[in-house]
Amino acid sequence: MSYELIALLMFSSMMLMLFTGQRVFAAIGGVAALSALALWGTGGSDLPFSAAMKLMKWYPLLTLPMFIFMGYVLSESKIADDLYKMFHVWMGPVNGGLAIGTIGLMVLISAMNGLSVAGMAIGATIALPELLRRGYDKRMVTGVVQAGSSLGILVPPSVVLVLYAMIARQPVGQLWLAGVLPGLMMATLFILYIAIRCRLQPSLGPALPEDERNVSMAEKMRLLRAGILPLLIFAVMMVPFVNGWTSLVESSAIGALAAFFAAIAKGRMTKYVFETSLRQTLAVSCMFMWIILAAMGFGAVFDGLGAVRAIDNLFTEQLGLNPWVILILMQLSFLLMGTFLDDTAMLVIVAPLYVPLVKVLGFDLIWYGVLYTITTQIAYMTPPFGYNLFLMRAMAPPEIGLRDIYGSILPFVLVMLLALGLIMAFPQIALWLPEYVYAR
Amino acid sequence: MMGFARQYVRIVDAVNYRIGRLMMYSLFVMFAVLLWSSVSKTFFLPSLWTLEVAQFAMVAYYIMGGPYALQLGANVRMDLFYGNWTVKQKAWVDVFTVFVLVFYLGVLLYGAVDSTSYSFEYNERSPTAWRPVLWPIKIVMCVGIFLMLLQSISELFKDIAKIKGESL
Repeated sequence: MSYELIALLMFSSMMLMLFTGQRVFAAIGGVAALSALALWGTGGSDLPFSAAMKLMKWYPLLTLPMFIFMGYVLSESKIADDLYKMFHVWMGPVNGGLAIGTIGLMVLISAMNGLSVAGMAIGATIALPELLRRGYDKRMVTGVVQAGSSLGILVPPSVVLVLYAMIARQPVGQLWLAGVLPGLMMATLFILYIAIRCRLQPSLGPALPEDERNVSMAEKMRLLRAGILPLLIFAVMMVPFVNGWTSLVESSAIGALAAFFAAIAKGRMTKYVFETSLRQTLAVSCMFMWIILAAMGFGAVFDGLGAVRAIDNLFTEQLGLNPWVILILMQLSFLLMGTFLDDTAMLVIVAPLYVPLVKVLGFDLIWYGVLYTITTQIAYMTPPFGYNLFLMRAMAPPEIGLRDIYGSILPFVLVMLLALGLIMAFPQIALWLPEYVYAR
Repeated sequence: MMGFARQYVRIVDAVNYRIGRLMMYSLFVMFAVLLWSSVSKTFFLPSLWTLEVAQFAMVAYYIMGGPYALQLGANVRMDLFYGNWTVKQKAWVDVFTVFVLVFYLGVLLYGAVDSTSYSFEYNERSPTAWRPVLWPIKIVMCVGIFLMLLQSISELFKDIAKIKGESL
């Protein structure tokens, strides 16, 4: 049997198993173990376990439980409530101002945490009901929360980029820095969209009424202090890291502890919050780690087959395609898969397949990491199956139906596609900062 | 048969629950080690042992904690079709597909035992400055994978019970 055929067989049997609804890690790992045994007999039987040893030696993976814990502490303890008030008072008087403030809130939360779940939870429970009560259009609001929270995986610290770094064997620090400008650019584009749209159609996001705007300057200043906390957590985490005093992993532990103590200091670390954060951290970390473990076994079999070379050969030699055409085709297929595949699964299935191909084609893997993350963001949000869509459904008030949620994301997805195109056309948007910092 | 299954599920779930709860709190061990690592690096001589102890703690965390995560139903599934099925339909499909999980864990366990006995025999050490012996963590991994196997069989029993309309 040719290698291409074996690769195809492995891939399709994995998809089949995934469709049965069995746990994702079991589907991937089972197919990997079976193919290893079938291909190399008893010699292949150690392959799944050697992935576990490889995983242990991959130090940055320790950031995963740290950031997950931090995310749950931030969202469960509700220490972000004050932040929302700050944006509310400062941005309220503008048309669409509360929506713009929500994007600002999401950027701050993204800078403290590496997953989109925290932003989603905070946005859906705090910002969403408030904005609806002020007469904001419900589609506008749900779109804002979803688009904003997706920034969590692009703005450092980012868990998705950590996973990508492991698969692409690229330094996490550079990848994180590469995400900064694209993340801010995308936030700016969101804000521009909201501002223009609400200027044209003020009914979508009315400004706060006169009596509510009457907040004294002293009160406004006092509320500004709420912004100190996220900046402090971000600084405690990133300053020692950027200066090289601590490693990435140590910084993530410091950040998680900072969030933990901030919650205690504010008297929000109740028994319930403590229990939920710890239990969810274990549950979500285990889910991720077992999937990574299985995916690494799968990747090892793929490597052993030389399947990537074969696919590359098929595209460049036999079909005679330009590397850029292949790259764009890859992004398109990625987006397509993202619409119907579970996102976690997509992350670990697509990356091991695409990353080596991108490398063979001669593209910069740091730059591709940013493209990859944005594509994942879009995939998170696109119907019919997006992780964020379901989270939104679970968290949003009942008057927001699935139809509203689906409809709400369209303009934001277009904005994100624009950002993706810009970064593809001008790689320096992503690469300037890491090159600047690491060239010193 | 159902009596045995009931007993099995009760014992395995209880054991894995307790181990999982213990692992859940061990997150603070990781915090402590990493914090000490940053403190010692900044103010004293960097510790040699912190990096690997943190790695060992993480491996124990996710492998020994895995069965508890399985109990919690934390492992994502692709719910394109699965999400629309009734409880009974889900159980019927799971009864068959769970063998992929059991098979995977079996191969994993085989490799783990193989690798552990190698480490034991040659007193394998990690190739770093601290040079810790590797067999203790590998034994932890063997035990964790074995517990995971026990838990997945427990899940199988629970699914069979669901099909029969009984509860365990």
